Amino acid sequence: MARTLAMFTDTSLCIGCRACQVACKEWNELGLEAPEWTGTYQNHAHFTDKTYRLVRFVEAPGAKPNGDLAWLLMSDVCKHCAQAGCLEACPTGAIHRTEYGTVNINQDVCNGCRYCVASCPFGVVSFNEQTGTAKKCTFCNDRIHNGLGPACAKACPTESIQFGFRDELVAKANKRVEALKGMGFKDAQLYGADSGGFLGGLNAFFLLLAKPATYNLPENPQRPQRHVVVDSLLSIGSAILVGVGALLAFRERGKGGE
Amino acid sequence: MLKIPGWETSIIWYFFLGGIAGGAYFTAAIAENFGSVRDRAVARVGYLVALPLVAICGVLLIADLGVPTRFLNMVLRFKFWDPMSIGAWAVGIFGLFTFVSAVLSFSASEATAALRRKVALVGMLFGFFLASYTGVLLSNSAMPFWADARIMGALFLASGGSTGMAAIALIMFFTGRTPGESWHKIEIADRYSLVIEILVLALFLALLGAAAQPITHGHYAALFWGGLVGAGLIVPLILNLIGGRVRAIGAVSAVLVLVGGFILRYVIVMSIQG
Repeated sequence: MARTLAMFTDTSLCIGCRACQVACKEWNELGLEAPEWTGTYQNHAHFTDKTYRLVRFVEAPGAKPNGDLAWLLMSDVCKHCAQAGCLEACPTGAIHRTEYGTVNINQDVCNGCRYCVASCPFGVVSFNEQTGTAKKCTFCNDRIHNGLGPACAKACPTESIQFGFRDELVAKANKRVEALKGMGFKDAQLYGADSGGFLGGLNAFFLLLAKPATYNLPENPQRPQRHVVVDSLLSIGSAILVGVGALLAFRERGKGGE
Repeated sequence: MLKIPGWETSIIWYFFLGGIAGGAYFTAAIAENFGSVRDRAVARVGYLVALPLVAICGVLLIADLGVPTRFLNMVLRFKFWDPMSIGAWAVGIFGLFTFVSAVLSFSASEATAALRRKVALVGMLFGFFLASYTGVLLSNSAMPFWADARIMGALFLASGGSTGMAAIALIMFFTGRTPGESWHKIEIADRYSLVIEILVLALFLALLGAAAQPITHGHYAALFWGGLVGAGLIVPLILNLIGGRVRAIGAVSAVLVLVGGFILRYVIVMSIQG
């Protein structure tokens, strides 16, 4: 496997211009959608089958160090988890990990069972009614195999979205958190940078200015498949009970033939 | 923020019919292997119920895919830890077993009966699997409530047992195949399954606590408490207990068990998607 690539989204630099969202749409030819009114500049409310990059506009009362309302911006995207629930759930092998560590859906193999949709802890994977397949950020698979960074990172005017080797980006991100803390952003923190942390680390990780919950991100997302063994053993226990019940009902009680 | 998979009508029917098919088959296998020669009538009904239901299950599953023509992609991989993957394999293999058992059930010879018993003993394992894995599939997702339910598979299995047995009893009733003892045995077996299902459901709710609110409170609460717990479990159990030799009461009980089995899948699948 080649050196792991990553995207680092530093939300402290985001100005909410949505160039990333537009660049993503253009490059990936994602097509038009009816806009959704969310009460802020945010459009759409969530990821869709045609929106892989989404700038979230978060109004968080009291989240500023002085207790004022914080207007937080975050360009959200598929996290390309090191332990990806969608990839584990996929029965066809359409969802696969590339040599760069990213997670991609092979549109020619996906048959639209939608287990990946139910298995994404972040609500990223979306079902497309037209193609009948599951859709999500491809990490611009075509671009990164041709020496280009993802379209969103390329378009970002403030370098809020950075693309590069994961280890280098994590080191950079850690320095940035320290700098921000020095400036008084006491809640500045990385989300998904730690490869020993949840889901084995995210290959698209974030720098947040407030707690993950403020951005509607789960504090501690878990592998959806972590209970398969326990649940299966409990099912076997139930099977033994029901089976023994049927056996007791049908067994011959020594009545001596028919 | 989570996305729902949009598994609706056809998946609920699949969970329901798959449970009946699995339950009817393993009941038939147990009746034939451990019961009397007369219980072969029960077994035969069980095999003949399971076969068309599995066929319908296959059609429902394929029709629900985004790209139905790619259904064979399900067997491009064998991921033993992934309920969707082994589930697809198991539906196919169980289908083969029900076909062989159904065909063999038309022979009256003892040699065939011996073979049929052996086939059923192995096929039974797939029957148990089909009746329960759908619950494990839901409980191994990122969805709230589903993902918190550790004994969803166990509950679906108990329900598969009770509905499978109810389906056999109902068909025996309507075809007039109720020669005393065998009918009585399937009634007793269904009674045991209902008791197990009620206990598993109680444990299910106790373990979930507040996480079970999508079915115990709100929009689906009336259907859950009235339709499943009341009309689908407790009433049929009482009818089963007091029915005695009155077969019509047993048949009514079986109908209610089947309705309850459908409501169980319906409220669980729709609760967080509706």
